Amino acid sequence: MLLMVAISWVVVPLVYLFLNSIKPSLEFLSTPPTIFPSKITFEHYSKAFSDPKVSRLFKNTVLVTGITTLVTVVVGTFAAYGLSRLRLPAKWLGFVVFIFLFIRFYPRVTTVIPYFLTMRELDLLDTIWAIILGHLGITVPFVTWLLLIVFNELPKEIEEAAIIDGAGPWARLRYVLFPLVAPGVAAASILTAFLSWNEFLIASSVARREAQTLPIGVASFVTDQGVHWGPMSALAVVMILPMILFALLVQRHLISGLTFGAVKG
Amino acid sequence: MVTSITAGIRSRRWFLSKERLFFAACVVPALIVVVAVQIYPLGFSVWIATKDWVLTASDGPSRSVGLGNFRDTLSDDTFRRSLRNSAIITGFSVSISVILGTALAFFTRAAGWFNQLSRTILIVPLVVAPVAAGTLWRIMLNPRAGLINTMLDRIGIDGPIWLGKSTEALISVTVVEIWIGTPFVLLVISAALTTIPNTLLEAAAIDGANRWRSFLHIELPLITPVLLIAVMFRALDSLLSLDTVFTLTQGGPGFSTYTLSYLIYNTGLREFDLGAAAATSWIFMAIAATLMVLTFWLQARWQRT
Repeated sequence: MLLMVAISWVVVPLVYLFLNSIKPSLEFLSTPPTIFPSKITFEHYSKAFSDPKVSRLFKNTVLVTGITTLVTVVVGTFAAYGLSRLRLPAKWLGFVVFIFLFIRFYPRVTTVIPYFLTMRELDLLDTIWAIILGHLGITVPFVTWLLLIVFNELPKEIEEAAIIDGAGPWARLRYVLFPLVAPGVAAASILTAFLSWNEFLIASSVARREAQTLPIGVASFVTDQGVHWGPMSALAVVMILPMILFALLVQRHLISGLTFGAVKG
Repeated sequence: MVTSITAGIRSRRWFLSKERLFFAACVVPALIVVVAVQIYPLGFSVWIATKDWVLTASDGPSRSVGLGNFRDTLSDDTFRRSLRNSAIITGFSVSISVILGTALAFFTRAAGWFNQLSRTILIVPLVVAPVAAGTLWRIMLNPRAGLINTMLDRIGIDGPIWLGKSTEALISVTVVEIWIGTPFVLLVISAALTTIPNTLLEAAAIDGANRWRSFLHIELPLITPVLLIAVMFRALDSLLSLDTVFTLTQGGPGFSTYTLSYLIYNTGLREFDLGAAAATSWIFMAIAATLMVLTFWLQARWQRT
């Protein structure tokens, strides 16, 4: 019973949003309002996609997410490998891990204002680079922390065998360790992609026009008038649907990445 | 003989140090990112917090005010209201999500395609952007045409103006936070439950413990450390969340859904009163840090006993 209620509580709003995105504009104004559209229309989608502003939002979001994920995974994998093999004193390593966790949880609004000022000084305001750099600040420490645990859990024997065979640190990472940590890297990159695609605070603080991403586009529909519901719903669907499909596709990695911190940390 | 040994040692040393250099170099890019995008802005923020600086009035800080900004914030009514709202929203949404998420994790625990499918559906809100979730619920809660009031109307109830009245608006934000937050608890508790050996529960059943008693005495103590972490994750994420208030109510009506995050965002990036925003954000930081330390302390204590 509770399960059924919970499932509808998740599904109904999402279905309702989708129905609104294929409902003719006039039906939003009828009394009583229709729940199911009497006629299916894709006008909101075609209008959205022919709008240069919306395609720019989409392009920016794809670029920001793609570049952030790529850079995070490369930088994070190397950093985790380095940190796990440097044989730092336990206290130092503990401090590094503490800093990483702190970055994950402190109120981000604290750094958004100085970050905005710095980007203004560097003339990077309203560029996707300001957003990407801001996202890297969150994702790089998080991914490094996650992969650090993965690297530390690998059995030492495999690596020792490779050392005896004369493999240098790069060859060991490339041919011996990387295949073993690949699932962890996959989980980390998926989490990074989700964060970057959905992130609002940093993006909205540094991108006021040209570099805006989908979250800002969706949030900018602040008007409550029914006439705008169609386009607003269509844009929200465009933003949500790829992520839901992606999540279903990579469910196993996503779940392992998300539960990792709580169960192992 | 002797020379070959020293050569061996020397080459070994050289080998080691070159390796360490490689490992150190691996860490450098990440270090640069953290220093440039986190440590530097944090320091900068401390400096701003002690200045009287309104960006629309002047390009640089007009004067130093020491701790004046902090004093002003602490005695400000909007700050107190935001603090109260944050506490209400986070408190209610976290406790309800945790109870609901744990219950759902238990109900969908057994193997089988139906439970598997239920879990998959139930965690969907986790990947819905909070901004989109807020927008979606704003449509749902619209007093005239939204689904909630349309349904209430059909059973003869005159639905309230959800986002237009202060108590109802606060409830609405909390509800959306629960919608967003429950999947995470479900996911983490499900994972924790799979680590409990079945033999333990079977033994309890043989000893005559009913389902509820074995939950209370076996499973709950075992999942408590994970539960505490889940509470901390949820509490901090909910406390820090700006997106839902931003898309649902814009802090309104009046100041009735102003949260700390929204207040700081508004003061800093809309009114451009940088000094005040920075000072408020450091007070916020102290609250979040206390919460973090408290959870780790509780967890450490629990594991020792």
